[in-house]
Amino acid sequence: MSLIRRNFDVLIIGAGGAGLNAAVQLAKADMRVAVVSKVFPTRSHTVAAQGGVNAALGNVNDDSWHWHMFDTVKGSDYLGDQDAIEFMCREAIPTVYELEHNGVPFSRLDSGKIYQRSFGGQSRGFGEEQASRTCAAADRTGHAILHTLYQQNIKARSHFFTEYFAIDLLQDAEGGVTGALVMDIASGEPMILNARATLLATGGCGQVFRTTSNAHINTGDGMAMALRAGVPLQDMEFFQFHPTGVAGRGMLITEASRGEGGYLINSEGERFMERYAPGAKDLASRDVVARAIVTEVREGRGCGPNKDYVLLKVDHLGEEVVAKRLPGIRETSKIFLGVDPAFEPIPVYPTAHYAMGGIPSDRFGRVVAPVHHGPEEVVQGLYAAGECACVSVHGANRLGGNSLLDILVFGRLSGLDILEYLGEHPRHRLTDSSSEECAMARFQRFDMSGEGITVAELRSEFRKVMEDHAGVFRTDAVMREGVDKVRDIRHRLEDVRLADTSRTYNTARIEAFELENLIDVGISIVTAALHRKESRGAHSRPDYPERDDRNWMRHSLYFLEEDRLDYKPVRTKPLSVDSFPPKPRVY
Amino acid sequence: MEFQIYRFNPDVDQEPRMQSFAVEVERGMMLRDVLLEIKRRDESFAFRHSCGEGVCGSDGVNVNGRNQLACITPVSDYEKGPVVIRPLPGRPVTRDLVVDMSDFYHQYHAVDPWLKRKDPVPEQENLQTPEQRARLDGLWECILCGCCSSSCPSFWWNPEKFLGPQALLSSWRFLADSRDQAEDERLDALDGPYKVFRCHTIMNCVDACPKHLNPTRAIGHIRNLMLKKSV
Amino acid sequence: MSRHLSGFRAWMWQRASAVYLAGFCIYALARLITVPPVDHQALKSWVGNPGMWLATALFFLFLLLHAWIGVRDVILDYIKSAGLRLGMLAAVFVFVLICGLWVLSILMGVL
Repeated sequence: MSLIRRNFDVLIIGAGGAGLNAAVQLAKADMRVAVVSKVFPTRSHTVAAQGGVNAALGNVNDDSWHWHMFDTVKGSDYLGDQDAIEFMCREAIPTVYELEHNGVPFSRLDSGKIYQRSFGGQSRGFGEEQASRTCAAADRTGHAILHTLYQQNIKARSHFFTEYFAIDLLQDAEGGVTGALVMDIASGEPMILNARATLLATGGCGQVFRTTSNAHINTGDGMAMALRAGVPLQDMEFFQFHPTGVAGRGMLITEASRGEGGYLINSEGERFMERYAPGAKDLASRDVVARAIVTEVREGRGCGPNKDYVLLKVDHLGEEVVAKRLPGIRETSKIFLGVDPAFEPIPVYPTAHYAMGGIPSDRFGRVVAPVHHGPEEVVQGLYAAGECACVSVHGANRLGGNSLLDILVFGRLSGLDILEYLGEHPRHRLTDSSSEECAMARFQRFDMSGEGITVAELRSEFRKVMEDHAGVFRTDAVMREGVDKVRDIRHRLEDVRLADTSRTYNTARIEAFELENLIDVGISIVTAALHRKESRGAHSRPDYPERDDRNWMRHSLYFLEEDRLDYKPVRTKPLSVDSFPPKPRVY
Repeated sequence: MEFQIYRFNPDVDQEPRMQSFAVEVERGMMLRDVLLEIKRRDESFAFRHSCGEGVCGSDGVNVNGRNQLACITPVSDYEKGPVVIRPLPGRPVTRDLVVDMSDFYHQYHAVDPWLKRKDPVPEQENLQTPEQRARLDGLWECILCGCCSSSCPSFWWNPEKFLGPQALLSSWRFLADSRDQAEDERLDALDGPYKVFRCHTIMNCVDACPKHLNPTRAIGHIRNLMLKKSV
Repeated sequence: MSRHLSGFRAWMWQRASAVYLAGFCIYALARLITVPPVDHQALKSWVGNPGMWLATALFFLFLLLHAWIGVRDVILDYIKSAGLRLGMLAAVFVFVLICGLWVLSILMGVL
C-alpha cells in the first residue's frame, strides 16, 4: 500500500465557524486550501449555537466596544488577556457587518437594522444598566452563520476533505508543523496532507463530561493533537457549565430565553436569582447562575419528583414572543420534555458547555508556547482558532454571545495572518521521518484485535469520573481522587481492543481515536484544576472560596509529557486604552 | 421492543441483510438512543449522528418507510409494532445506515447558494424590514439532512440532473431575499427540462421534512416568479 | 432573459393548453347535450362553422401539444439510457405528428 501524499498551501483541520472563516479568507486570495472535517461542514457544532453574537452596533440603544471590552474583562474574572479582548471587541463590529453582507439572515428591527437582544453580563457605561448587544437570527444564530460561511467557501472554491479524520500533526526536526496524517473515513485509508501552514479549528471537548450540551463530535481532537505535538494546553481548569440545560439530557436552552425576559424559579416558586445577583438577577454571568442553581438543588429547593432541577419560566412572555424569538427552544422542549414553554416552565439544570481553555495562541491565531526560551514563542507553521484555542479572551468565564464572536474574529484573523506567513515562507518544510512514523503507529494502533476493554465501556466510565470529579464545585479531595482515576483510565486505554477492524466507514475506530483524545484532554482539565488553589470564574473551590489575584492571576499551561504544569502571566495591558484593574466581581 | 436494522458492510457482506435487535425502551427515548444502544452492543454497526437535538442534520434514516431524523423521533411513536430502520432511500449505501450523499450536496452547490449583490458594499448592514426578513422564514432553517430529496422519486431517477427539493428550497431562499440582486441570473440557471420541472408536486418532501419546511411551496414560488417574469 | 421551450415554456404551455382543453370540452359537451345534432350532416355543418372550426382545430393542436409534453416528461423521468430515450422521443414525436396530419385531413374535409 503506497501512502497518498498531497500538498497544499494551507491545511485547516475543522470546518466550524473558525475554520470556515479562515478558509474563506485564504481561498479568496487564491491559496490552495485543504479543509479537513470529520463531518460534513454544516454538521459542525457551530450550527447548534443559539443566542447570537456580541457586537456593540448600538442598534437598540447606545453602545460602545469599550463597554463590551469592560464586560468581557469582568466576565473573565480578570484572567482574560486585555490586548486580545480589546482587539476582539473592536473587530466585532466589522465582523458582524461582514457576516450580514455575506447573507446571514439576521432578525431585524423595525428600522431595518440587525436585531440585538440582551444577554448575561452585558452592561452600558462600564457596569451600569443592561445592554442589548447580541445580534441574533431568531434562536438559531449559529446555524445561520455556519451555513453562510459554508456557502461563502463554496463560492471561493475551498477544497474540502469531508469525512476525513485527523490522526496527528506532522512536524519537522525543529518542532515546526508540516501538515497532518488524516484518514478517509469512508475507505479507512490514511493520507498525508502537507501544508506550509496548519490551522487547528477543531472546536470544543464537551464530550469529556457525561451531561453536556456538546455534540458527539466535540471530542477535543485538535487539543489532544497539539498536546501530543508537545504544545501545552492553557487554562483547561476553566470549563463553563451552562446554567440552563434540559434537565437530565443536557441539550441547551439558550440564554436568550432569559435575555427575552425569562427567569428561574425553585420549588417554592421563588425567583432565587434575586438573592444571588441582586443587580443583574437572571442575567448574571453564567458561572454565577450555574452555581446558584446547583446550590438551590443541593439545599433541597429543587423541583420535580427527585428535586433535581429548577424551572425556567418564559410562558409569561406570551405565545407570540416565544414563537417569534425562541422557536428553536420551543421545538426542543416539546420534543425532549413534552413541554411547550409558551404555556409551561422548562425543567433545567447546568450542563457542561464550553472550554475557556485550549491551545495557547496570540491574537493573530499563532500558536505560542514556551518551547525554548520565553513563555510565548511562536510554533512555526501552527495556528489555532475557535474553541480549541485559548487567546485568551474568555479567561475564567465566557460571556454568552462571545463564543461565536471569538471563532469569527480569530478565525478570520488567523486566515489573514496565514496569508502573510505564506508570503514569508514560500517553501514546504521537511517532515521528520520519526514524526511520520509516530503518527502512522497511532493510525495502526487499533488494528490489533483480541480480548480487551471496549471503547464504550471505558468511555462511559471516563465521562462519569469527569462529571463527578471536575464539576461545578471542586474540592481538593474530590479532585485528587479524580486525577488518580483519570490516570488509571489512561493506563487501561492500552487494553482497549476493537471487535471490528474493518476499513469501510468504521465508526468504532473513529470513536477509539476520539476516546484517546478525550482522555488526554480530560487529564489536562483535572490536573490544572487540582493545582489552582482559588475560586475564579467557572473554577469554584469551596476550600478556597476567594479569588487570589496575588498568587493566581496567571494562566496555567499543561504539558502532556511528564504531566507537567507551568504558568505564564496574564496580559493586562490593552492595545490603546487603559487597563481594567481587578475588582470584586458582583452582578 | 424489536428493531429491524438494515446491515451491510462491503468489506465482509455480499448482500445487505436485516438484523433484529431487542432493545429495552424507556420513557422519553429517541430513536437515536436506540441506535446508540445497538452500537454499544455491536460496535460494527455504523450510522451518522452528532448533535442529538435535530440541528446538525446527520442522522436522517428511513423508519418504517418514512424519512426521519433519528434524534428527534420519539420511540413512543412506534409503540404498536415492529420498527424497520433502513438507510435513506435512493442513495448508494456506504455501510449499514450510512449513505453516499455526494449527489445531494452537488445539487445544493449547483444553485449558487450564496447571496449575490451588485451594489457597492455599505459601511454598515444592508437594511431589511422585518416583513422582508419574514419571507425567509421557513427557508433558511434547512439543515441539509437530505430527508426530503431522498424521499423524492424524481430525485431517485435523476439525481444528477433534477436539483431536488432541498436545492430548490435553497434557491428560493436567495430569490426571496430582498438583499439578493441576481434574480434573472438565478432564474436563467434554473431553466431546462430537468432542474426544476421534474417536480410533479407529489409533496413527499413536505411529508418528510423534519424541520416542517415546505419545499413544494418553494418550487411553486419559483415557477410563479418565472411566469411573472415571462409575461 | 432566455427561457427555453424545454423547461419553463413547456410547463407553461402544458398548463395553458389544459385550461383551453377543459374549456372546450365543457362547451362542446354542453352544446352536444342541449342541441344534439340530428345526423352526421348536422354535426359537420356545426363543426364547419368558421369559428367552431378554428376552435376545434386549436383543440386538437393543444391536445397533441399537451400529450407530447406529458409523454415527454414521463420519458425524461424514467428512461435513463440516452439512446433509448432519443429513440422513444422520436417515435412519440412521429406518432404525434401523424395524428396531427390525420386530424388536419379530417378537418379539411369538413370545410
